[in-house]
Amino acid sequence: MALLFSPPIFIPKISLSLLSKNRFSLLSATRANSSDTGITSPATATNVDVNEPPASTPVVKKEEVEEMKTTENFTKFEDARWVNGTWDLKQFGKDGKTDWDDVIVSEAKRRKWLEVNPETTSNDEPVVFDTSIIPWWAWMKRYHLPEAELLNGRAAMIGFFMAYFVDSLTGVGLVDQMGNFFCKTLLFVAVAGVLFIRKNEDVDKLKKLFDETTLYDKQWQAAWKDGEEDSSSSLGSKK
Amino acid sequence: MSTFALKSFTGLRQSPTDQITFVSHVPSSLSRSQRRTSLRVTASRASPKLANRSLRVAVIGGGPAGGAAAETLAQGGIETILIERKMDNCKPCGGAIPLCMVGEFNLPLDIIDRRVTKMKMISPSNIAVDIGRTLKEHEYIGMVRREVLDQYLRERAEKSGATVINGLFLKMDLPEEWDSPYVLHYTEYDGKTGATGQKKTMEVDAVIGADGANSRVAKSIGAGDYDYAIAFQERIRIPDDKMTYYEDLAEMYVGDDVSPDFYGWVFPKCDHVAVGTGTVTHKGDIKKFQLATRNRAKDKILGGKIIRVEAHPIPEHPRPRRLSKRVALVGDAAGYVTKCSGEGIYFAAKSGRMCAEAIVEGSQNGKKMIDESDLRKYLEKWDKTYLPTYRVLDVLQKVFYRSNPAREAFVEMCGDEYVQKMTFDSYLYKRVAPGSPLEDLKLAVNTIGSVFRANALRREIEKLNV
Repeated sequence: MALLFSPPIFIPKISLSLLSKNRFSLLSATRANSSDTGITSPATATNVDVNEPPASTPVVKKEEVEEMKTTENFTKFEDARWVNGTWDLKQFGKDGKTDWDDVIVSEAKRRKWLEVNPETTSNDEPVVFDTSIIPWWAWMKRYHLPEAELLNGRAAMIGFFMAYFVDSLTGVGLVDQMGNFFCKTLLFVAVAGVLFIRKNEDVDKLKKLFDETTLYDKQWQAAWKDGEEDSSSSLGSKK
Repeated sequence: MSTFALKSFTGLRQSPTDQITFVSHVPSSLSRSQRRTSLRVTASRASPKLANRSLRVAVIGGGPAGGAAAETLAQGGIETILIERKMDNCKPCGGAIPLCMVGEFNLPLDIIDRRVTKMKMISPSNIAVDIGRTLKEHEYIGMVRREVLDQYLRERAEKSGATVINGLFLKMDLPEEWDSPYVLHYTEYDGKTGATGQKKTMEVDAVIGADGANSRVAKSIGAGDYDYAIAFQERIRIPDDKMTYYEDLAEMYVGDDVSPDFYGWVFPKCDHVAVGTGTVTHKGDIKKFQLATRNRAKDKILGGKIIRVEAHPIPEHPRPRRLSKRVALVGDAAGYVTKCSGEGIYFAAKSGRMCAEAIVEGSQNGKKMIDESDLRKYLEKWDKTYLPTYRVLDVLQKVFYRSNPAREAFVEMCGDEYVQKMTFDSYLYKRVAPGSPLEDLKLAVNTIGSVFRANALRREIEKLNV
């Protein structure tokens, strides 16, 4: 398995640079494969009706028709256990049961590979893998439980110290704190904070999320607002 | 700024006499909701009857919006002039129309080149899901050639009594007094290709701006700007054996490589396929995205010849001001393109028709002058009917086009039969159908599950990167 995945360190670099340098060589690849070489009347065909300058690629292509072929040799994703567009669960056996963790990790590796080397879809080898074949408890065990442990731990620590702190300041014991409205609000805020704010960036993210949810509505209601408002300004979202 | 009750306003409108009295008329939207900032109340005369003539309305732009508007206006007895700059304009467009459009606009079936009954959604990791199992026999998505559809609607408008002029709208002089006409400046082409045309002017009472995403009418009335996406498309003629695969099937590719906030597509047209993609936020990289789209479909379009390259802006949301006094915007000029799917043809035609209907009603079949409140009725009706649809699609785009895991979840969700049924029902008939609560609950649970799994896999991928 390691052998299969060590080459990727080199190949992606090559293919990526090929992609960036010979941007249009794929274009020429498809052209060169057609029975007629050359391009059918690019001058009349290009009719780009937009603000940016029209695509001059068809004209440029003629010279690069020779050097295609290279980008065709994308290494496709291959794995002994990836059979017919899905994972062959029988090969993931461990002590007579399927090793779901392994399936999850393999699928992650496949997706990562494809993110770096996007592949063509093909009618001969359709991908039909569905993540829901992996049972819910496998996902829980691997992702939810460790995170839940972390968050509960944080909440417990915060809770303990806040209870101690409030007690030392006000003399109100834990049981009496739970009956007090202000303390209950503090508790709610602490729980929400632990749940939603895991990193420093999350505060900004939440604010942006809120703005995002209300933006579209604002854009639609703009037609009903007073005409004095400067129409071109604030209602465009950031580009 | 005092406001009078609505009753006095309507009473005055129906008065048969030509008496001109001052009233402050309350635009109907104000009574609807006080929570919105109140509109300025303007004093206006009661709309007087037009002596010896019908209302004159110019429709700028002869696409689906303009054609539909002109037809409805002409049928309503209004003197209609339609100005279109390029009669054979072959527009860069997906060309998909929903089933309801065929019925509502009485389109002849031979306008439709192809009936798409199957769709494939392809995720970033190439997981492909087939959509369309729930379609009934008579249901399909119609693929049309824009030049054919636009020409048909214009011809129908002409048969109903509209005057169609081949000309380019330049600018518009706004009226100084409330009852002065709008003066349109345009260049008329007299049919000889290459001729620069003659500059002409025309006086009209009202204008419908249906001139598309780069609307000049919108600029004339200071309608404001909107965010727009660039859609880039290549028409590729592929070998016949590959074409049979696309006989009645369209494909949608999602992924960061294909577009960061939209999708790439392969749509079958009359005898070729259109392969394209679009983006709002990364317009400079559009060629890269197009390359990636072609790469993803490579096996299926190999051997194809590119016969045309085209691109066009697509509005993302409505302009801040969609009407001003007696000028209203419809279609792409107003920004009525949905998010998530980028559908615009049906909404353009429907808004053109709705605006024209409001004008016909407000002017009582062309006998009276109209004013802004009549046009506001069109906006009200439009927002009431279609805002839920736009909102739902906006939420879908925000949730599912965010990132690769979200897209993976989206594609997985689309495999579900209930989702397919709901999606097609709402697309084909433009209804946000309620569905059954139990199924909705199951859907919610499944959505959360898919999103969770996709995000979990993303975290796994990140762990591998380290």
